[in-house]
Amino acid sequence: MSIQNLNTFDPFADAIKSSEDDVQDGLVHVRIQQRNGRKTLTTIQGLSSEYDLKKIVRACKKEFACNGTVVEHPEYGEVLQLQGDQRENICQWLTKSGLVKPEQLKVHGF
Amino acid sequence: MDDEMIFDPSLKKKKKKKTGFDMEAALAGEPSETTSAEVPAETGDVDVPEDDSLDLDNFGKKKKKKKKTFFNLEELESALPEAKDEAPPAEEPEHQDEELIDDLDLDIDFTRTKKKKKKKNLDEIFAEEDVRGGEEQERDEDQNGEWHGSDRDYTYDELLERVFDIMREKNPSMVSGKKQKFIMRPPQVVRIGTKKTSFANFTEICKTLHRQPKHLLDFLLAELGTSGSVDGNSQLIIKGRFQQKQIENVLRRYIKEYVTCHTCRSPDTILQKDTRLFFLQCETCGSRCSVASIKSGFQAVTGKRAAMRAKTA
Repeated sequence: MSIQNLNTFDPFADAIKSSEDDVQDGLVHVRIQQRNGRKTLTTIQGLSSEYDLKKIVRACKKEFACNGTVVEHPEYGEVLQLQGDQRENICQWLTKSGLVKPEQLKVHGF
Repeated sequence: MDDEMIFDPSLKKKKKKKTGFDMEAALAGEPSETTSAEVPAETGDVDVPEDDSLDLDNFGKKKKKKKKTFFNLEELESALPEAKDEAPPAEEPEHQDEELIDDLDLDIDFTRTKKKKKKKNLDEIFAEEDVRGGEEQERDEDQNGEWHGSDRDYTYDELLERVFDIMREKNPSMVSGKKQKFIMRPPQVVRIGTKKTSFANFTEICKTLHRQPKHLLDFLLAELGTSGSVDGNSQLIIKGRFQQKQIENVLRRYIKEYVTCHTCRSPDTILQKDTRLFFLQCETCGSRCSVASIKSGFQAVTGKRAAMRAKTA
């Protein structure tokens, strides 16, 4: 039996926990680039470096049935590249998996 | 008595709604409102279907009155006789009440005294307004079509819609606030060959938006992730294939971010550069807020890598 009042209680537990959950800060830019013909490329820039981008790309490739890679950029950090117009797919996937909040997503392009 | 319980809250709500609509009008119409608002309450107690339909009508009139007062004080007078019209039918249910339920006596007496006062006032003004009042009634019935003859309560949505309809009808200038009445020519987008797209009325659109062509150009190219330039005929040549719809989409985003005021959504704004930041100054509401700078962000290598290497080396 323990006395409830004597239990140690951390008043900031919630704050710490929530800040830990929000690894992602700043906007995630989802862009599209035209290649030759009607081919396109989707780039996802701004994902937090805490995430393992390689794992994300592996999952995305399987999910969207496309190829993809992680590119290192001196200014923008690690950027995800996917073949084809995957803007809709990636937005849904990122929000569904809870990696990025919908308001943090910014879709560019036409 | 259960009926009373059910009826009262909704009635109160309605009352509040009306007073909330316009203070001036509320003050002007207050005496008439108190009585007429209680009329339905009484009829509610009796719970006779006829009475219900009757109070629906009354509500409609009352509302009308408010709006009238808001716009024209003269017409306020014309509105008052309607209150008088309401009074006589309301008294019938009262009598019924007395016969049926003794408990309600207090309430009824109270209202009745009020009504008497009312009547005195009304009699004085009565003569001239008869004609006008008639006109109003007709109109009211037109507008009440949906609720006429049904004894259900109004839903919040219906009332809200109604208020907004009337607001829009009375001051058309407000409609522009709700909807962007910003009419633009659609961009003329033509393909040049297989790899380039021409945006023919680019400068014209810049003029209608009151923005520097360079700013819009930067935005378009950054969003589309391509390169391009303005040629001699003041048309924009973009690399890549784009359809008109796609360009429209991007333009819409541009307008939302850099043209319309973020506070009042008026397109009457000025974009100015201040210490490396762009600020949007609204001419209508005077608000000033910074807007995002245009960044093209990461660009993947799409051309031939061998050619790139040859260029840099």
